[in-house]
Amino acid sequence: MPDFFETDEIVKGFDSLILKRIFSYVKPYKKLMAIAAISLLFATATELLLPLIIKNVMDEALVASWIAVKEEAEPLLAKDGLSISADAPRMSGNIYIRESSLKGIPEASKRRMQENNLLDYGPYYVTELADGIDLPEKILKDVSSGSGPGSRPGLRPIIQNSLFVAPLSYMEKLSPADAKIVRDKDRKTVVQYTVLFFIVLCLALLSSFGQAWSANYIGQHVMVDLRRELFLHTSRQSMAFLSRQPVGRLVTRLSGDVETINEFFTSVVVSFIKDASIMAGSLSVLFVMSPGLGFVTLLTLPPVFIATAIFRRKARDAFRRQRTWLSKVNSFIAEHIAGVVIVKLFGKEKASAEAFKKDNAELMKANLGEMYIFAIFRPLIELFSYSSIAAVLWYGTKMHHNGLISLGALIAFVNLIRMFYSPLQDISEKYTLLQSAMAGGERVFQLLDTDNCIEDKGTHSIRKTIKSNIEFDHVWFAYKAEDWVLKDISFSLEAGKSLAIVGYSGAGKSTIGALLNRMWDPQKGVIRLDGVNIRDIPVKDLRSTIQPVMQDVFIFSGSIAGNIALGRDISMEQIEKAARTVHAHEFIEQLPQGYETVLGEGAASLSSGQRQLLSFARAVAHEPSIVVLDEATSSVDTETEQLLQKGLAAIMQERTTIAIAHRLSTIKNADQILVINDGRVAEYGNHDSLIKAGGIYFNLYNLQYQGELISVE
Amino acid sequence: MLKTYKTLFPYIKKHKYRYIIGIACLVAVDSAQLLLPQYLRKAINSISEGKTALTVLAIALVMVLTAAGIAMGRFLWRFFIHGSSRRIETALRDRYFSRLMTLPAAYFGNTAAGDLMARATNDMQAVRMAVGMAFVAFVDGGYMSIAILVAMFAQNARTTLAVVIPLPLLSLLIIFFGSLVGKRFKKMQEIYSRLSALVQETLQGMRIVQSFVKEEYFSERFAAINEDYKKASMNLVKIDGFFFPFINFLAGLSTLALVLSGGLALLENRMSPGDLAAMLAYLEMLIWPMLGAGFMVNLMQRGAASLKRINEVLAVDSEPEFGMGIQKTETAPKGDIEFKKLNMVFSDTGKTVLSDISIFLSAGKTLGILGRVGSGKTILLKTLPRIIEAPASSVYWGGHDIASYSLQALRSSIGFVPQDSFLFSDSIKENILFSDPYLPKERFEKAVSIAALDKDLRLFDKGWNTIVGEKGLSLSGGQKQRVAIARAVARNPELLILDDALSAVDTETEEEIMDALLEDRKGKTSIIVSNRVSTLGRADKIAVLDKGKLVQYGSPNELATQKGFYSEIAAMQALSRAPQLEAN
Repeated sequence: MPDFFETDEIVKGFDSLILKRIFSYVKPYKKLMAIAAISLLFATATELLLPLIIKNVMDEALVASWIAVKEEAEPLLAKDGLSISADAPRMSGNIYIRESSLKGIPEASKRRMQENNLLDYGPYYVTELADGIDLPEKILKDVSSGSGPGSRPGLRPIIQNSLFVAPLSYMEKLSPADAKIVRDKDRKTVVQYTVLFFIVLCLALLSSFGQAWSANYIGQHVMVDLRRELFLHTSRQSMAFLSRQPVGRLVTRLSGDVETINEFFTSVVVSFIKDASIMAGSLSVLFVMSPGLGFVTLLTLPPVFIATAIFRRKARDAFRRQRTWLSKVNSFIAEHIAGVVIVKLFGKEKASAEAFKKDNAELMKANLGEMYIFAIFRPLIELFSYSSIAAVLWYGTKMHHNGLISLGALIAFVNLIRMFYSPLQDISEKYTLLQSAMAGGERVFQLLDTDNCIEDKGTHSIRKTIKSNIEFDHVWFAYKAEDWVLKDISFSLEAGKSLAIVGYSGAGKSTIGALLNRMWDPQKGVIRLDGVNIRDIPVKDLRSTIQPVMQDVFIFSGSIAGNIALGRDISMEQIEKAARTVHAHEFIEQLPQGYETVLGEGAASLSSGQRQLLSFARAVAHEPSIVVLDEATSSVDTETEQLLQKGLAAIMQERTTIAIAHRLSTIKNADQILVINDGRVAEYGNHDSLIKAGGIYFNLYNLQYQGELISVE
Repeated sequence: MLKTYKTLFPYIKKHKYRYIIGIACLVAVDSAQLLLPQYLRKAINSISEGKTALTVLAIALVMVLTAAGIAMGRFLWRFFIHGSSRRIETALRDRYFSRLMTLPAAYFGNTAAGDLMARATNDMQAVRMAVGMAFVAFVDGGYMSIAILVAMFAQNARTTLAVVIPLPLLSLLIIFFGSLVGKRFKKMQEIYSRLSALVQETLQGMRIVQSFVKEEYFSERFAAINEDYKKASMNLVKIDGFFFPFINFLAGLSTLALVLSGGLALLENRMSPGDLAAMLAYLEMLIWPMLGAGFMVNLMQRGAASLKRINEVLAVDSEPEFGMGIQKTETAPKGDIEFKKLNMVFSDTGKTVLSDISIFLSAGKTLGILGRVGSGKTILLKTLPRIIEAPASSVYWGGHDIASYSLQALRSSIGFVPQDSFLFSDSIKENILFSDPYLPKERFEKAVSIAALDKDLRLFDKGWNTIVGEKGLSLSGGQKQRVAIARAVARNPELLILDDALSAVDTETEEEIMDALLEDRKGKTSIIVSNRVSTLGRADKIAVLDKGKLVQYGSPNELATQKGFYSEIAAMQALSRAPQLEAN
């Protein structure tokens, strides 16, 4: 449960360097980026388009309000920048234009035109009648009794050619059936726009999905790449570095922290772009529709920005506090589950529950604090949006009366303002995500930037020439500072011979093996392989030559065969052969699925003896020239013990072997015996010479080594 | 489902006034919200009727005031309802944790810690969502849907009918999507935990990985899981990424229906422009309650599933205070300790772990225990504080069956230093004061000096207040063991048990500790498990266990001359003292 103990900083301010680095991982996915950008563009555009369509339906078909200008006024209007198209409906010297088209004309000229009877605000309803339309009786009656040609409609409609003009007030009094016939063209317009609306809606669906999909896909790809790089990088660090890192923390780097970067792509980047474009888009549409009203809207915004800035900070602090307490409470629970026996032994069930209550109460306070922030912010933004709408309504009324804006435009304005506000609702949440991504990214890149690999500059390849003579020349080693574990160790071992290292636990025996394959480098002295300083040999070559068989057998989850081969490209026969050589085949065969038996985490299903046999097989399958054997001390049953002995003998045959030995048979049969005491070589020789010398080894042998299995730990 | 939620009734009852006020605020907000489109309609109608800007301003101001009221109300319902759900979550987590602490130790052996954690975290969250968000969605959705529909129908029945038909589809869709997303999410989570597990495993086995030069092989394995994870995530995205666009699509269809049917009605003079604008606004408001209805069903289902898992733990029996059918002993445990033909068989595996163990330990004496891994030492020791319950009539203290003492009385008479010397991530001081926060200063000083911690004090940058753990001080194995010893010694217990508690301490320090410890324990009973002759040699009697049986028993001198495990390790350890031998 690494996440529960995570106490690192979880939020970080915006950092362009980290951002740049995150984005450098996107480079390979240009096509996806293009898809994402295009679909985002479409998604945003369609979102903005939909209210515009509604506005157009309103203006063009539903609230069709026209005014009449005399043809003489046309040049005057042209001077003010309004050129009336040739298609505009004309009747008896009058041109009918939409109310909204006058909005660019200065007040003074409009007034002058109105005074000179060139401009009639009406409002009128104008439509083109379809051929063969069957107008209702009532209208025909009203028309026929209407004024003659050349005049403008007073209270009644006029029909000239196929053009139908009537005052709006007349239209509003028509019965539904009559209105339906006259406004047939508007009906068609409405239907046309509905179809357009539907098409845009479908486009919106497709593009929003495409956008979500591609953004996620990019995020996933980046995660895969980043995780892989991070994993390989981490696995190449030296044991000296790795052994200092809590495993839980590294796991979090690779899992949770990378995930925050994904979230950054899927949520933060997309919504920041989308929100920004929606806000900018709706604001610019506002300005295009009516600069004046757009400006009024802009004036209402400063409080929004101030509130957002304040809340962003508050939300961050609240989030930080919440996360801190959450991880405290969670680690408290996790820890007390792990240490429940201690709680019980000391009779502290109640006291622990009380202590938990305190932390839990703090967590609740933090939770409530965070909730209050959002409970204030969101409604406040909504209130601001209504203030903006109110301002627009008030100012819009004035403009409307002056013919500067149509009613439809005003309604669209209200909708656009709402659209402008909607991304603001959850902007602080998004900012929090950004901050987590920044913090996660920083930690990930920090790990990527650590370089604690064992120095690998050797060029002396030994793959073909290996004979495997080993020589330790005055080697000193300490894990920490001057705390020497090995002091001035010297010995040499001829190829094909075996060396047993004997000594009390903690004397540094195991370290000798770890130095040989450069898990660690000694501080002083030189280790040579066939006369070559092992630092001059490529690490890969060195390590494939020397294979350890460790005391604590590590089994990876996967099949038995997989644990033997460890990804080496060897056939099933070779795997079996390796298992047979060390007598592991016997027990493997008896398992229900044989070599395909899947071993779980920690491989609890195997006995410790079986695990050791498996690790023997693993070493043999990799055909090393040198084996470093850290003999396990745990007891196994007699039968397995015999198998182990045979297996050991098989491994040591024809190989240079260093054995950190506990079993008398291993020690006695070794070509050389090294007695280590307090990190120093105390005695060195073979069994006979050491017995003859009458030192520690002699005492030991005489006292107790009587063919028994020695087991200490 | 209702049965599952029964657990929550007392909590909800406790917060009933908050809920009632919350609901009142919610309903008030909802009602006021219905007014907003009315103001909008009124304003737009006024404009089209050519009323003055001042009239419109007056309407707009009332609208803003209403919006202010709404904002206030929104804060209040969140305050009351979300506040209650947070409080209920907290109370439930309190109850869960304190329950957890009373469960038998065996329960923790059989239940994965991660699973218990998940119940305390994710499941609690799901329950909170059910009593908070789901509740709001229910009240809000129900009331709003009905009220908006009534308002819409009152305005224009025919149009409304055409418009709302696709809406219930939204609720159904959410329920459907919810279960679909849930499944895929679970699958994704599974792969995610496999991914972390592989990282963890590889890091733990890094020495093998590097020794066999398998960095790339494992990185390939990791890459394969990464691919799986990517696939599972994208599988989720296919649903999840489609979901909201599709909801918007359906909502858009409703708007489309409104524009079409409302527009046509308007052309026939059956509807005014203001009405249409208001209907558009209502429709937009109706989307959330319809979504909310679907969300509520999902949240309630998830909450019920989670609550069920929490209820499971709450229903487990706590440790029995006394053995079944045994006469209670009121006095504190004191006197001779005796194991009488103790047999232990693990019920789940049927494996015999202790057979026919009989040991008599007189009060005030020290017993040493020696045995290999798996010989049953730890199990034997754990029967004394009843962490593991021994069969009746096989373990006695002061002439009474230990199951006749209350757990509290029994455990407060024992100081136990377990093998793994578990410490909490508090300060060193708090760890030592774990048994008694009001321990006199002299006893604290004494305890740290017995455990030879005082000589390490200079290494701790904040003295005894240095925090043990990842970000604080990482204590060495030996230091941890010594803190654990100080913790047990501090309470000066009737019986002190050291279960191989000095294995990581160097020989010299061990001698020091043993000297001080046995001096302090004079007149009190101690049991010490060790593999070191230097330690065992100080005991009055030594018991050697092998495969659950007592194979040797006697004084150190007796055993040293007998052929057996004790004399074997005595010889092995002579090696480490060899220089001294030579000097002789």
